[in-house]
Amino acid sequence: MTTVPDDVAGDHPVDVLDAFRRGADLSHGELWLRYFELGGMSTGLELEAYLFGALRPSRHDHDVIAHALNERFVELGGNHPVPYADDGSDSDDDDAAAAAT
Amino acid sequence: MVVAGDLPLSDFSVGASFAGNEVVLSLTGEVDALTAPEFGAFFETMIDRGHGAVVLDLAGLRFMDASGLAVISHGAARLAAAGGSLQIRTPAALIRKMLELTGFSALLQRDGERDLESVLAVASGSSGLAQDTRHFTGIYSGSEAVDGALRLAVTLAHAVVGGADGVSVSLRRLGKLSTVAATDETISHMDANQYETGEGPCVDASTEGHWFHAASLDDETRWPAFTPRALSLGIRSILSSPLRVQDRPVGALNIYSRTPLAFTQSGQEMAALFATETSSILKGIETEVGDEHLSLRLRGALRTREVIAQAQGVLMERDGMAERAAYAALRRSSLDDGSPLQERAAEVVMSTRRSQFRPDDDRA
Repeated sequence: MTTVPDDVAGDHPVDVLDAFRRGADLSHGELWLRYFELGGMSTGLELEAYLFGALRPSRHDHDVIAHALNERFVELGGNHPVPYADDGSDSDDDDAAAAAT
Repeated sequence: MVVAGDLPLSDFSVGASFAGNEVVLSLTGEVDALTAPEFGAFFETMIDRGHGAVVLDLAGLRFMDASGLAVISHGAARLAAAGGSLQIRTPAALIRKMLELTGFSALLQRDGERDLESVLAVASGSSGLAQDTRHFTGIYSGSEAVDGALRLAVTLAHAVVGGADGVSVSLRRLGKLSTVAATDETISHMDANQYETGEGPCVDASTEGHWFHAASLDDETRWPAFTPRALSLGIRSILSSPLRVQDRPVGALNIYSRTPLAFTQSGQEMAALFATETSSILKGIETEVGDEHLSLRLRGALRTREVIAQAQGVLMERDGMAERAAYAALRRSSLDDGSPLQERAAEVVMSTRRSQFRPDDDRA
């Protein structure tokens, strides 16, 4: 199993997320499915762009990805190494996906 | 050099950009029986002008049916004959599935890892999630993509098999044969006559699993009840080839002609080829539907999303949380006790079981 960088906090280059993905031994497709399952709204291509830092995910999206990865790490017997952008202090309604009501 | 040649059509448009010998055609909107001829004309013009490398960018397409696939098929054959090349780029999920089912997948620009995602996700970010979901369910229930693929098969067989005046595909479902694709109404009637009389080449091929050739119905003695009905509809020869899935006959590809002795040796070989192709379409469906990784996972994923959304709704209503905050709360409680978020969400939903859920505001 590949190692996971642990120097991740705050404003890091986002491609660290892809390192976590590799560490979690998930393909892009599998991660997308897990992200989708947890309520993620972005397409597979957008997700890849987030992972590689080509697009900046919203805090919420970042956290859904982080959680999908963390659940995977727990499955593999680890803890949850991927940090969240939203630590619970405040909510950040960055995208207006609330149209479908 | 980039030149735009926009051709606005009903709900379909083509943009072209050129780079040397290569032309990229970007399709948007819908390709169906109405717009396929325009697409075809544009595509053909590019080939006529000597563009040896054509790239079809389908990212902006919302829908394409068998008529669009037939245009691609024809263009691909012309380009191949001229030593050119065709590439298909970023098709949306449904279209990609149809291309795969119909054997065009070799033309797709592929990336192994992206494959699952491509099947599941719609490549173009423009369409909303609701539409994506419709596409998924369309695929894994087999309906849209399968029907499209089978329609394409009968359309192509009709065009390619010498002597064919009509083609249909019959499948046995729940013990009964039915026609799932036919080139026209007479052909559907021909099939129906066989189901009703319980005899005919289609019935026999579907049951016995080998092919039946009625070279001339004028001299046919095997199907006394059915043959007069066929003659009354003007059909004089029939070639039915069995469709097999896992070595079981499941139906037949039926080719009808108004001419006796219409099917030559090469016509018969083409028919056999189409029957094999059609069987592999069906096989693709079978594995797709039975494929745990796709259909079950996806169904589960959709269900899980639902539960999470419900739990968010409960927290929003019960605890007055904002949507994102409700999600974050679920996530944190999942981290705190090490159980998956979906389990925490299910518990939240279950906790309201005694009270009434807010009824959905259904419109009639």
